[in-house]
Amino acid sequence: MWAMIVKEFRQLRRDRRTLAMMIVMPVVLLIVFGYAASFDVTTIPTVAAGPEAGQVAHLVGEPFHVTATEPAQGRAWAEQQLRDGNAAVAVVTGSGRPQVLIDGSQLFTAKAAIAELSAAAAKAAVNGPAGGQASQPGSQPQPVVTVLYNPELNTSDIMIPGLAGVVLVFVGTIITSLGVVRERQSGTLEQLAVMPLKPRDVFLGKIVPYFAVAALDLAIVVGLGVGLFGVPFRGSLAVFALGAVLFLFVTLGIGVLISSVSENQGQAIQLAFMVTLPQVLLSGLIFPLSSIAVGVRWISYLLPLTYFNEISRGVMLRAEPLTSLWQPFLLLALLGVVVFTLASLRFRADLAPAAPRRGSGTPRGPESARGAPTATSAAGTPSARSAG
Amino acid sequence: MTELPAQAVAVTRAFGHFVAVDQVDLEVRPGEVVGLLGANGAGKTTLIRLLLGLLRPSGGEIRLFGEPPSRHTRRRIGYVPQGLGLYDDLTLAENLAFSAAAYGEGPEAAAVPTPLRRYRGTVTGALPLGVQRTAAFAEALAHRPDLLVLDEPTSGVDPLARARLWETVAVAAVAGAGVLVTTHYMDEAGECDRLVIMAAGRVVARGTAQEITGDTRISVVQAGSWAAAFGALEAAGLPVALVGRTLRVPGAPPDAVRRALGDLPAAVTSAPATLEERFFELTLSSGQTEGPS
Amino acid sequence: MTAPGAAESGGDWWGTEDVCVKFGDTLALDRVWFRAEPGRVSAVVGGDGAGRTTLLRCLAGALAPASGRVRRPARMATGYMSAGSGVYPDLSVTENLAFRATAYRVPPQQARERSAELLARAGLDRVGDRLAGQLSGGMRQKLGVIAAMLHRPDLLVLDEPTTGVDPVSRADLWWLIARAAAGGAAVVLATSYLDEAERAQDVLVLDAGTVLASGTAEQIVAAMPGTLTITSERPAGDAGRRAWRREGRWRVWDPAGLDTEGAVAPGSRDVVMPDLQDAVTVAILARELALVPAGQESR
Repeated sequence: MWAMIVKEFRQLRRDRRTLAMMIVMPVVLLIVFGYAASFDVTTIPTVAAGPEAGQVAHLVGEPFHVTATEPAQGRAWAEQQLRDGNAAVAVVTGSGRPQVLIDGSQLFTAKAAIAELSAAAAKAAVNGPAGGQASQPGSQPQPVVTVLYNPELNTSDIMIPGLAGVVLVFVGTIITSLGVVRERQSGTLEQLAVMPLKPRDVFLGKIVPYFAVAALDLAIVVGLGVGLFGVPFRGSLAVFALGAVLFLFVTLGIGVLISSVSENQGQAIQLAFMVTLPQVLLSGLIFPLSSIAVGVRWISYLLPLTYFNEISRGVMLRAEPLTSLWQPFLLLALLGVVVFTLASLRFRADLAPAAPRRGSGTPRGPESARGAPTATSAAGTPSARSAG
Repeated sequence: MTELPAQAVAVTRAFGHFVAVDQVDLEVRPGEVVGLLGANGAGKTTLIRLLLGLLRPSGGEIRLFGEPPSRHTRRRIGYVPQGLGLYDDLTLAENLAFSAAAYGEGPEAAAVPTPLRRYRGTVTGALPLGVQRTAAFAEALAHRPDLLVLDEPTSGVDPLARARLWETVAVAAVAGAGVLVTTHYMDEAGECDRLVIMAAGRVVARGTAQEITGDTRISVVQAGSWAAAFGALEAAGLPVALVGRTLRVPGAPPDAVRRALGDLPAAVTSAPATLEERFFELTLSSGQTEGPS
Repeated sequence: MTAPGAAESGGDWWGTEDVCVKFGDTLALDRVWFRAEPGRVSAVVGGDGAGRTTLLRCLAGALAPASGRVRRPARMATGYMSAGSGVYPDLSVTENLAFRATAYRVPPQQARERSAELLARAGLDRVGDRLAGQLSGGMRQKLGVIAAMLHRPDLLVLDEPTTGVDPVSRADLWWLIARAAAGGAAVVLATSYLDEAERAQDVLVLDAGTVLASGTAEQIVAAMPGTLTITSERPAGDAGRRAWRREGRWRVWDPAGLDTEGAVAPGSRDVVMPDLQDAVTVAILARELALVPAGQESR
């Protein structure tokens, strides 16, 4: 038994990918949960409209943070700001009681805003017109608070649009990553290299079927969400579809990239997992982006799911138009270009025959496809024999 | 050692409806090298797994050193499977150390043999196949087994390295071990004291290579244009094999071949069949040409 | 002067001229000259690590050499079977062939007819719907060869088509090979079976990336220096280093009449006519002895 233990240790020491996973993963998770995992809302972006817009900033304190003041604008403008995701709370002043509009699709921010307002109202009631800072000038009439887009503050309403993205991430990354690896393992990658096919043909040929399946998956998730859970779909189907296509393109590209740097399916899955997990945790799906510490938030901005979440929530819950969603679309497109270029280059290295390569290292031994498999550890390091 | 290292008596093994091994008798005596020949799917691998105790027979009996296979008998066996059984991500020295410890042997069994010393620190997966094979042999022999089972031990290796591996086998046999070998190299049949040929799960021939080939003869055709002769013989339904510039036709006497060739200028003679051609005949007549690999 | 690795059509042979291939720091092929002619079968032999697969990959266009020239037809006129059959295990026999036919733009009618004929002759006509992964080793290799020759390539490159295959399937495979050559293709196959190499018209022997011998089997044997004797025991001393075991006895190579009768070993010594395997063993041995001075050999 001791011999077995020693052997496993030795094998593990050499298996860098598993080691990385076993050591890096807990560290990453700790950082994430330490800095990112927070439902605490520290700032609430707010806009003010109406004749007394300028005073709103004095009246509301932390955590409300007034970013725009438009005395000339009214409720319609305020609603649009919320719809476009520019703010979470809008205060509309005018004759009569001020109206406070809250974006219900930002669940935790909305809850925090409501809690703050309730606390302020309670304080005003207690202090009365004679005292208290927040009740200047004179006796302030109580605001009318309206929650837009998710009036009952349902969790499912905001989770399901996000889950749509998660489904695409799983299909796109994990399943696609197996595609090229299978070719390598069955020895057919070499055959492809010799055929009169362009690397582009092979690349696209590998992606298109998964595109179709993922699109079907997406339709099922959204359909069930709307039909079974009553999640609204208020916006443009076309905009949603466009976002989905772009997002899929990026995740499938990542999948192909992973499979082109993996030597067997085990490694592909490991890498796919390491890429998928941060997306689920840091994309704003569970923990709101604004609550994630800035030092960690830059990771979120690299993740495609972050942008798709914005798109899907915006379109489904707030009927956000394309014009205000240009940022996530642009960034997704950018990510798409980067991933596609990298994947194509890697692919060409595997398939491009005539281009002389510089020191491409030991080739995958075709011997590994024939005969009984060699006894390897679970990590499956292939035998890199000299070319024969 | 007075008992037989390995013995199979009327052994049968079925997987569902498929009978992989059918009433096979086999023995390996101390100091002898038995060659097991057969197509992929003939039952060789299943028989070996039965002998090693990795599978239980559906019928018949397996005896290793006079007893049924057990962990105890396992210690007296050295086995080199087709895939060599080495860990690709351990160095040679580490592989040997692990194996020695697993067999309960002392550190001498873990020693790296002299010819392999320079490779001791290299990860096994990075070594050339010939070196890996030599190492696998060394590992199997380290605990001085009384039965050595080798599954295609020389596949893919150059003839000089093959000769050296066979030398190791011969040394083990001289030391008293019984050796069971499977191979696809026909000339290695000559290294074996006895051959057992399997097809479709049964033993279809036994004995030395000469005994098995016997007096079988085949026809040899030398033609100016081999392609034309090839076509003519094909058209006549005769099995033809191209060897260099001659054509060999097993199972047909020279006059039948002459008739099939018609007017084509060719010389037709008779020649003794090779072991491979006899093997071909036996496999064909057993009706086994397909089945899972 | 064409760039390294560039394909060149026309001319009446395919092959390599002074080709070197490097993988990282390893020289997998070192100035290899090889020639394959239409209508002939060439066998490339050598142990693992000799460079057979690398050479075949260069010929097929899957690899570009670091230097030297490769003469090969256009991709559409090349057929290649990688070691281990190169067919998709999760596609059926028919589907595999359909994929090749489409990739090589073989007209459907022609593809159907040729597939049917080749499959029937190779004994695969009744397993059209079976997944390639469920075929026996021999059947899968046959499928691999058929897939490679389906589009009637000018150059057919096969990497170890018969390794580990049963004798009946091996006979079928050689029929397919002969058929391709009879049809005018230049067939190049890698094999580790020297008796098989003797069946080919031309033989190239590789060892550690360099050419050890080339020509017809008869030429290679004739070019073997010295003589070969058989003895029942391994001789002692210097002759022992020039001996190897084969078929239960010992072959001793005498490069230049060094061993006098009786000085080698007691027991009979018969001079034998070497075959290709002997000639190749001698070539490898000669190379080894030239590298390792007497007394330092690790035996």
